[in-house]
Amino acid sequence: MTAQATGKWNKYVTAGLIMTGTAVLLGLLAFFWTPCSTTAMSLSEKFKAPSLSHLFGTDNFGRDIFSRVMKGMGTTITISVLVVLLSATVGILLGALTGYFGGVVDEIVMRVTDAVNGFPSILLALVAVSVLGSGRQNLILSLGIVFSPSYIRIVRSEYLRLRDADYIKRARLMGVGKCRILFVHILPNILPVFWVSVMIGLNNAILAESGMSYLGIGVQPPNASLGNMLSDAQGYLQTAPWCALAPGLAIVWIVLGFSLFSEGIRRLGE
Amino acid sequence: MIRIENLSVAFDGPEVVKNVSLEIKDGEILGVVGESGSGKSVTALTLMGLSARTARVTSGRILYDDVTLLEAGKPRDKALYRRYQGARMSMVFQEPMTSLNPTQRVGRQVEETLRLHTKLTAQERREKVLETFRSVGLKDEETVYRSYPHQLSGGMRQRVMIAMAVILHPGLLVADEPTTALDVTVQSQIISLLGEINKKQKNAMLFITHDLNLARRLCSRVAVMKDGCIVEIGETEQIFEHPVQEYTKQLIEAVPSRLKERKSDAEPRENGRGRTAPVVEVRDLSVYYQEGSNSLFGRRKRRCVVKGADFALYAGESLGLVGESGCGKTTLSRAVLGMIRDIDGSVVHNTPRPQMIFQDPYGSLNPTKTVGWLLQEPLRARGAIDASLALSKEEMEEAAYNMLRRVGLEDFYFHRRPSQLSGGQRQRVSIAQALITNPGFIVADEPVSALDVTVQAQIMELLRNFQQEMKLACLFISHDIHVVYKMCDRIMVMKDGRIIESGDTQEIFASPREEYTRQLLNGF
Amino acid sequence: MGYLGKKLITLIMTLFLVSAAAFLAFQIIPGDVVTSILGTEATPEREEQLREELGLNDPPVVRYFHWLGGLLRGDLGISYRYSKNMNERMPVSELIGDKLPVTLWLAALSIVLIIVISLPLGVLWAKSRSRAVDAALGVATQTAMAVPSFFLGILVTYCFGIVLKLFTPGRYVSYRQSFSGFLGYLMFPALSIAIPKIAMTARFLRNSMLTELGADYVRTACGKGCSDRRIMYGHVLRNALMPVVTFLGMIVSETVAGSIVIEQVFGLPGIGRLLISSVSSRDFPVVEILILYITFAVILVYFLVDILYRVIDPRISEK
Repeated sequence: MTAQATGKWNKYVTAGLIMTGTAVLLGLLAFFWTPCSTTAMSLSEKFKAPSLSHLFGTDNFGRDIFSRVMKGMGTTITISVLVVLLSATVGILLGALTGYFGGVVDEIVMRVTDAVNGFPSILLALVAVSVLGSGRQNLILSLGIVFSPSYIRIVRSEYLRLRDADYIKRARLMGVGKCRILFVHILPNILPVFWVSVMIGLNNAILAESGMSYLGIGVQPPNASLGNMLSDAQGYLQTAPWCALAPGLAIVWIVLGFSLFSEGIRRLGE
Repeated sequence: MIRIENLSVAFDGPEVVKNVSLEIKDGEILGVVGESGSGKSVTALTLMGLSARTARVTSGRILYDDVTLLEAGKPRDKALYRRYQGARMSMVFQEPMTSLNPTQRVGRQVEETLRLHTKLTAQERREKVLETFRSVGLKDEETVYRSYPHQLSGGMRQRVMIAMAVILHPGLLVADEPTTALDVTVQSQIISLLGEINKKQKNAMLFITHDLNLARRLCSRVAVMKDGCIVEIGETEQIFEHPVQEYTKQLIEAVPSRLKERKSDAEPRENGRGRTAPVVEVRDLSVYYQEGSNSLFGRRKRRCVVKGADFALYAGESLGLVGESGCGKTTLSRAVLGMIRDIDGSVVHNTPRPQMIFQDPYGSLNPTKTVGWLLQEPLRARGAIDASLALSKEEMEEAAYNMLRRVGLEDFYFHRRPSQLSGGQRQRVSIAQALITNPGFIVADEPVSALDVTVQAQIMELLRNFQQEMKLACLFISHDIHVVYKMCDRIMVMKDGRIIESGDTQEIFASPREEYTRQLLNGF
Repeated sequence: MGYLGKKLITLIMTLFLVSAAAFLAFQIIPGDVVTSILGTEATPEREEQLREELGLNDPPVVRYFHWLGGLLRGDLGISYRYSKNMNERMPVSELIGDKLPVTLWLAALSIVLIIVISLPLGVLWAKSRSRAVDAALGVATQTAMAVPSFFLGILVTYCFGIVLKLFTPGRYVSYRQSFSGFLGYLMFPALSIAIPKIAMTARFLRNSMLTELGADYVRTACGKGCSDRRIMYGHVLRNALMPVVTFLGMIVSETVAGSIVIEQVFGLPGIGRLLISSVSSRDFPVVEILILYITFAVILVYFLVDILYRVIDPRISEK
């Protein structure tokens, strides 16, 4: 569902698009080019306050913080997108099947997702990481597993609702095949709800990823990630507060952008 | 005496009430009838000082016994209104469930009116509430007093609402579709109650309804509204017998009534159900429902919802199934279509894929598809099951366009989505979609109940024409006796899961055998 | 009451399942615990001795029930990493003992802050007719919700600790030393946890109130002659608070998670920090117990919310 379809553009969508747009562009750009090297250290450039040559200043190793924030945004966004892709795919498949068909499998899946859903996601991610071990792939896998239940629940409840909609009953009477009912008749109807939950999921993934990296069990140094930059910067808060401010504000920027965008989409839907 | 003078009301856009003048004398019941969007509810809410914040009075004024309650150009005097609301004027709404606070005991909610407007002690207030409960026909008033709204039936809730409205004997009582959400027999009791109250308390009553039969029964004068204007106003009999305006005539004409003649399209049958084989044959059908907690551990209860239904349906015939909500008529129809598997007895179809038309025109079309796609889907499904019936893309499109024209919609609707259609248009598309594969048998579950009277008449006409052309057998479910009378050749009356009476429409209407049937018919 | 009994049984069942899952999950992890403790240089005799000491020679299921039996007797097992002295390993119970109060007080303080601030804020927001107030609160809460708690913690440290010098970052005051000093220090981490949750709860309550204000029964109350104030506090507020109770249950369970991270930021010696360090050092006996602890806390919260809901909503308690 695009904004144009309903024809009521609003300022939430605009603000959200601008904010997420710049973050995504800078993050993607960082894979190919950054103003300065993100790893090269230079002791003479240590703890430089923000200036024209170093937009956000430099850190304890004299690395350019702006470049590292770009890189970090790229890492955080990529990981979060992969996490959401993984959990949303699992969510759609399992949610559609359990919601539409019900039965014992549904019972079991629901018990498990209910139990998992009640728990704070960062705790579950911690457990998953401690079982799987740290590192980028394991982080994606852990967060993917942890976030799937919420998608399963949302998709399932939508399928459960639409399963008994009059137009689906009629489709069954026409003899439309099950697979076609699931994915051609019902799926487009849940997309508005689904997209909003994807947006919220992206936010949660970003917060969880940066939280894990902050705690030292996500992306490992020297790779730049917004979380581990913050954790490093905390030690120099007194002398170089900009080291913490830049990556922190970057997280706020991305998350706020996504939530404004999803709020706008939700309002468009109404 | 209430006077509304030249009242006009607008929200953000154009005026929805235009220059309306009404006068209600003490002891009189004035009916306002009209279809949805005619501005009748807005008029009532404005009169009561309950209209939405965005509503603006653009002209006119409202007088209550020479006191000006509301005048165009001046803001609503909330303090003045608050002295009148509940004490001198009160209102009964359509939805008795949602109109009561779900988390407060109903006694307390009624008592609040006294708390606001009188200086009675707690004991006196309680006494008065109980007394009023008795007077509106609530038995066991102590229990009712302690109940929460969800513990009461729809009829009881509406009686509570009425008690709340009349407890201080207000000079004006406004009733906005007070019986629309209720079953026929309850409806009839509530209407009588309102009539009694009016006789006893001699208050001015404004009765708003879309149902012309109700207005005719209760009101001494009637005003007909359309598009925010009063089209015609006069004594009830005058309006119904000799309507002057074209719209009033149309409206009265559209109302199905058993005073009008009806014609049958069914094939003449000899010796009961003779020569032709039935399209559907239902033998001793019982239908069960699983209820109880839906979990691995919870034990489920199997409840019999339909007991021993037995009937047959022939080509071109339309069989009416009437009964109040919860009697099992919808369950029976689902079972006949094979949508419920847990049954005893047998259902034999002689047509391949019977179809169904639902009540809610908003829910029966997939909102994400275009009308063209929707019309072709049954053909695609048929082709996928039986390759010999598969059509080419062009043929399907052609068939869809054809069907669209046959239900009276222009070609450009082909690319529209359901959200761009009106209720009546949607129902036309529903019918087209159900009939495009020429099913031979359809179930129509309250197909016109959600529609305005004039649209209702058009859809019924359309259905009858199709039945004639396609020799279509139709199981027609409705709670509206008048609609059934117009549409059906035979009638089955259902109560508590059993078919208690069945026979030709004329016969049943002329001489019902069962007491329950008589009640149902005499609702009006 | 049959319902309560049923719920209690479910609660115990869940705890049992979680304990099994928590225990067994760490048994399937590749890598030998003994080698990871002693390093690859150790003699086979020493390895065998440690294996015996940690009870690793039995099959997992037997060890699970052994462990569970210990739990019920109050024996929480021994840590792989921490030692009491040269010869004795640290019992998990001792490791947790004085850390638990820190986390509990932090969570309690945060929850009090959340409730005391968010509820009045939500009500005032719903009542406000001013577009400016509405927009300002909208932007403020959206932003507050977008700030991750650890960054908020860093901001609080910088503003209140370094600039305003209201507390000394990193200089934690133990509750054994001075309880008021302890609470004073805890105030700032609690604030960091609470701010985003206050924003969420206030938004939720406001939306809930606006929904209720549009309900039909409000029109009925209006028609009786109720004043706006009476409608708000006599009818709407109670109904609007009902969904908020469930929402608060979720918030409380997230507060537990928030404390895990925030303890790290403020250098609080609570179970969150212990959990992180145990996860990093793969000290599984400690991780298992902590997971069980937190699970118990979360389940208990949901249990209480459920009961509370039944008390305040007549529609449910009737069933």
